[in-house]
Amino acid sequence: MKLVSRLKENWKFLMGWGLLLGSLSLVVMSFFALPIPRALWWLTGSLAAVGFAHYTFSQNLVVYVIKRILEAVFVIFVIASMTFLLLRVIPGGPFDTEKALPPEVIANIAAKYNLDAPLHRQYSDYMLGLLRGDLGESYKFLGRNVAQIVGEALPVSLQLGVYSLILAFMIGIPAGLFAASRHNSFADNATMILAISGVALPSFLIAPILIIVFAFWLNWFEVALWLGPEYYILPVVVLGTSPAAIIARLTRSSVLEVIRSDYIRTAKAKGLSHQVVLYKHVLKNSLIPVLTFSGPLVAGVLSGSFVVEQIFAIPGLGRHMVQSVTNRDYPLILGTTLVFSVMLVLANLVVDILYAYFDPRIKLS
Amino acid sequence: MPQFRWVDRLHIKFSLPLLILLPLLSSCTRERRLEYGLSLADTLRINIITEPPTLDWNRSTDTTSSLIQDNIMEGLIQYDLQDPDFKLLPALATEWSSNSDFTKWTFTLREGVKWNDGVEFKAQQVVDGWERLLNPKTASEYAYFLYSIKNARAYNEGSIKDFSEVGVRVDAEGRLVVELDQPKSYFPMLLTHSSTFPIRKDVIEKHGDRWTDPENIVTLGAYDLKIWDHDRAIVLERNENYYGDKAKIKNILAYMVNETSTALNLFDSGRLDSLHQLPSRELGHLKRRKEYRETGIMATYYFGFNTERPPMDDVRVRRAIVHGVDRKQVTDMLQGGQIPISNWIPPGMLGYEADVGLNFDVAEANRLLDEAGFKDRSTFPTLTLSFNTMEDHRRVAENIQAQLRRNLGISVELLNEEWKVYLRSLSTNPSHIYRLGWLADYPDPDNFMGIMTSFSDQNYTRWKNSRFDELIQQAVAEGDPAKRRVLYREAQRILTEEGAAVLPLYAQVNHLLVADRVQNYPVNRLARFIFRDVELK
Amino acid sequence: MSGMRSQEISAAMLVADGNKQQLGQGKSSQSLWAEGWRRYKKNRMAVISTYFVIFVSLVAIFAPWIAPYSFDEQHMDRILQSPSWTHWLGTDALGRDMLSRLIYGARMSMAVGVITALISLFIGTIYGCISGWMGGRVDSVMMRVVDILYSIPTLVLLILVKVIFDSVNLFTNPELRALTGILLALSVVGWVTLARVVRGQVMQVKEMAYVEAARALGSHSFAIVWRHVFPNILGPIIVLLTFQIPLNILFESFLSFIGLGLQPPFSSWGVMADDGWRSLRSFPHLMIAPGVAIFLTMLAFNLLGDGLRDAFDPQMRGR
Repeated sequence: MKLVSRLKENWKFLMGWGLLLGSLSLVVMSFFALPIPRALWWLTGSLAAVGFAHYTFSQNLVVYVIKRILEAVFVIFVIASMTFLLLRVIPGGPFDTEKALPPEVIANIAAKYNLDAPLHRQYSDYMLGLLRGDLGESYKFLGRNVAQIVGEALPVSLQLGVYSLILAFMIGIPAGLFAASRHNSFADNATMILAISGVALPSFLIAPILIIVFAFWLNWFEVALWLGPEYYILPVVVLGTSPAAIIARLTRSSVLEVIRSDYIRTAKAKGLSHQVVLYKHVLKNSLIPVLTFSGPLVAGVLSGSFVVEQIFAIPGLGRHMVQSVTNRDYPLILGTTLVFSVMLVLANLVVDILYAYFDPRIKLS
Repeated sequence: MPQFRWVDRLHIKFSLPLLILLPLLSSCTRERRLEYGLSLADTLRINIITEPPTLDWNRSTDTTSSLIQDNIMEGLIQYDLQDPDFKLLPALATEWSSNSDFTKWTFTLREGVKWNDGVEFKAQQVVDGWERLLNPKTASEYAYFLYSIKNARAYNEGSIKDFSEVGVRVDAEGRLVVELDQPKSYFPMLLTHSSTFPIRKDVIEKHGDRWTDPENIVTLGAYDLKIWDHDRAIVLERNENYYGDKAKIKNILAYMVNETSTALNLFDSGRLDSLHQLPSRELGHLKRRKEYRETGIMATYYFGFNTERPPMDDVRVRRAIVHGVDRKQVTDMLQGGQIPISNWIPPGMLGYEADVGLNFDVAEANRLLDEAGFKDRSTFPTLTLSFNTMEDHRRVAENIQAQLRRNLGISVELLNEEWKVYLRSLSTNPSHIYRLGWLADYPDPDNFMGIMTSFSDQNYTRWKNSRFDELIQQAVAEGDPAKRRVLYREAQRILTEEGAAVLPLYAQVNHLLVADRVQNYPVNRLARFIFRDVELK
Repeated sequence: MSGMRSQEISAAMLVADGNKQQLGQGKSSQSLWAEGWRRYKKNRMAVISTYFVIFVSLVAIFAPWIAPYSFDEQHMDRILQSPSWTHWLGTDALGRDMLSRLIYGARMSMAVGVITALISLFIGTIYGCISGWMGGRVDSVMMRVVDILYSIPTLVLLILVKVIFDSVNLFTNPELRALTGILLALSVVGWVTLARVVRGQVMQVKEMAYVEAARALGSHSFAIVWRHVFPNILGPIIVLLTFQIPLNILFESFLSFIGLGLQPPFSSWGVMADDGWRSLRSFPHLMIAPGVAIFLTMLAFNLLGDGLRDAFDPQMRGR
């Protein structure tokens, strides 16, 4: 009985830790290419869902969340339409070949892929397909549908992206704090120059240098492919460099701002210990702007992944995104674009909600 | 702000374990075991560059797909790839013969061959394959391969609906009889190409577009398709019931790494046994390595002229431009051992004539330009030279641009277009000068000469010459190589000298790296990779 | 580039943060500028960076007079040579002098950086001003459009727009013609962030007493925006510009990477970097020269931007 009541008192706390541990173990296990039990997915997923639902209801955010989701659906719809139209504008068609095909054959191809229908018809058919969750068949890869292609590539891109973001936060935040703590010192300047350097080189120049040093000279990691931890590290570092640098700069500037703010002065004047002031106030408050930035950061990591995937031969979504345009594989271009957009929109939604959670001054409505 | 020193500790807390962890992690997980449970000792690891768009041999058009198909399937006839003339050897057909004017061919098929699901191979499966290849619904790009068969073209273009009118049938003795409506002395050669391989209609009907998935596909070649891990790798396994000599290596692991420099990195770190494509700029270095192999291939690299767009409509201008280009300079720049050619057919093929075509002659070039009315070079319009986006093409184009400016004093503007855009502009309105290449589908000169006929679908020069067309048609019907050679010599003279519709640059070369442990690696002029005879040390 | 859009946004956030308080000051803008300038001159890193940027700009402008060779002069007997006295930075695969290509490359890269930044600034400012000034329904619709553009993956947008615009021939000058596709594509992607920041700034200025006063006096909207709002948001816009320029240089190299770069034979740092990275192990000089050029320029522009922001942000005073 006592246990139950104690559980009841602390369930939120337990759930939070459960979620944290769950997702952490998911990341670690996937990193080491260990088999992940299905139960762990379910557990973490349901904890997240319950936590989200509880938060939404307790904060009276139901309407807000529904509104945001509807908005998101609208945004996705517009993006799908825009991309659809853009694709018809770009010169060159999916079935242009070096050797001209007989008209009968061309007609057959057009009929097979619904390309002979009037444009508005093609559009409405595609949109209706989307509603049913049907992304269509790839033009280039015969017999594979877009959902399947995306389904095989997305987990890889997600893995790459998530590790890079984690790395970026792990390096960026401490570096930013460090610089801020020694504001205007040599260490501060050095850290910040280092941070700017992180965004100052295109990643396709960083990657070969790292490959030569860590794969050829030191022989620590593998040069390419995506088969296990020793393969993951170099691409993750390359992709994580620029977000890490950005986070470091943002953390520094926001810590400086918080330190200068009145309420920290008040807290100090009240005689609170440094530790309390720092951990409780400065850190928490200064991380809020950094947090809001994670939405765009996800976007950045996603679009940057193409370069890294290309150089390290990683079978991710970025590669499909570029190559599908080269092939004029309309359904695949649309499919990858939409998946990316959905992820962006979702990331922004989650970030907004987390934002309100961490900063009670913000009112979502 | 000294009171914030605590972050230092925080920083160390974060970064130290990370720094220690990384090398540890890499050293403890490093093992030399291959993916998919394969063992290194009996696996050949190659790079096929891209995901094959399809393994359906009636429909694929690219080299990656045909590489896999060549190893899992077999045609009626095969080349002796060791032979410089590519003598034809029996494969699924044991004998073949034709009537005197090459319009009727009879093929005797091998008996007792079994597909890997146990079903016996029959002549009807060849007919099924050809019907499917020609069927307009299949929309195969390679349907034209069989156009010489009676009514095949009409069937493919939809004017005949009934396949029984097409000139192919199985006779009472189970032989395959083919009737052509134009004589073709080299017809058997076409049957080495994967698009003409037999198919299993029942399998295709059962599984639809997914019949090429490893669990559905039925083949009869030296290897079986075991795993197709999309965008990552393909695994082939030896077919133990293969009718001929069994493959020497048990498995082939084909990665799909499309960045050449990445593939080279993988090779250098011992992850690949061979490379079929090398970063062209590094050839100078790579040449000195013992793993390096090089073979001329039956492929040309050329620039075509849009002969309808002024000033290229003037043959003197076209000739001047051909005379004004030093091909040797281009191949020297490329450092890959490419052979400069002035005629149309590449070396190693019947009809290659080193002395046909216009050679580098600046004085003559300038004389021709003066004669064409451009004594004052400033009145000469700026030409556009277009090519599709690729580093090597760009280098060649930049070099040609510089040469024409230096040698003739004319200015050329480069237009770099993405492949699909490029194809569109080629078929609608080609630039003054455009780049293209051609790789032989089969080692017969007709495959090259046919491109430039007035009825070709790939002749973007818009150059037409009835004498040329006539010679080509005569040559196809001619069985005597010596006589054919004379005909092709004359045709090439018309194309490259009289008409100067193209600027042939060089015959291409394949550059490979093959690891020490690999023996008998297929290196041939046809760029066909059949791994049956490869061995590992 | 990893974090294409995220870098833009982070720059925007840094700028926006810095300028929040500036607007609250009651001082006249003139003394604020003077004071900022004084502070800027004290920032050693920023001043060095400014000199560097000026240096690069001069190199770009006077490229034909500085470069020892022409950017497309080929020496077939000197292919892929390492640095020597005749070719200080070596030669490329066509025997062209790397130093000369680097110098001419500065011209193209800076052109891409500056022109694109100006185009996106122009569109972004007008869009942001209208949106912020009108407010209400107009604002929410206009911002929704921006949201949508934000949610399209930059990569796809960039490629599609580049392929489409490449077929547009607006100029006869070959240099400009080679640039058009890139300029337009990068501008289409680039203006969005600027529009957002400008709108935010306008919204803040709109509430200022003197703007209210001008409005009460019945001045024309356009006049108010031009005379009162615009000068007040000029600071952040300039800072943002200094962040936008290097980003565009980076984007340009990214386009080269995916094969949609500048038309040959023109050279830009992006084209050269893309040329070089593949053969770093055999010919390091191909990558190092453009790499260092991009790196230093990015660094300089960023430090310059940081310096400007710090100098004109009163909060930073005395720290």
